[in-house]
Amino acid sequence: STTTLTTPQNQVEGLLHEMADEAGLDLNLELPQGQSGSVGNSVASAEQDELSSRLAKLRDQM
Amino acid sequence: GTAAWRAKDPVGQGQGQVQDSDRVRNHHKQAFEYISVALRIDEEEKGPKLQAVEWYKRGIVELERGLSIDLGPGTGETTERDKRLQAKMATNLVMSKDRLELLAKVVSGSSQ
Repeated sequence: STTTLTTPQNQVEGLLHEMADEAGLDLNLELPQGQSGSVGNSVASAEQDELSSRLAKLRDQM
Repeated sequence: GTAAWRAKDPVGQGQGQVQDSDRVRNHHKQAFEYISVALRIDEEEKGPKLQAVEWYKRGIVELERGLSIDLGPGTGETTERDKRLQAKMATNLVMSKDRLELLAKVVSGSSQ
């Protein structure tokens, strides 16, 4: 079956984007170049936030 | 044959230059991985701090590389996102350096 291949790309991307935003998960997506834009970026953004909060916690301990 | 398959490969290595946007994200990813390792060690009270120091250093190098990419004056949505990512990377660069400095003192004070 070719059902999965015909799912609109923007729909897939929108869904992934939502998931990444809401969960802040490290999805480790390896999407082809050109499609990774917004998804990759919101995951990246969440990952940087995670580092900030962990670094802040350590800083406040000392 | 193999050549035909390669020619159709949309993400093959021979595709040309990598976009600045992807370069920023690649450095982010590398930095995230290194600093995550550093944090895992550092968060253990008796973790080997000297190792954490080394991982922080690697992460800092990657953050600096990502920040050295000039995204230009563009105001498109992607550029804006990339700039926000760089701003977060800059914050973590400062925090990592602070942490590294403190750890370096702890390490040199306790073991040498």
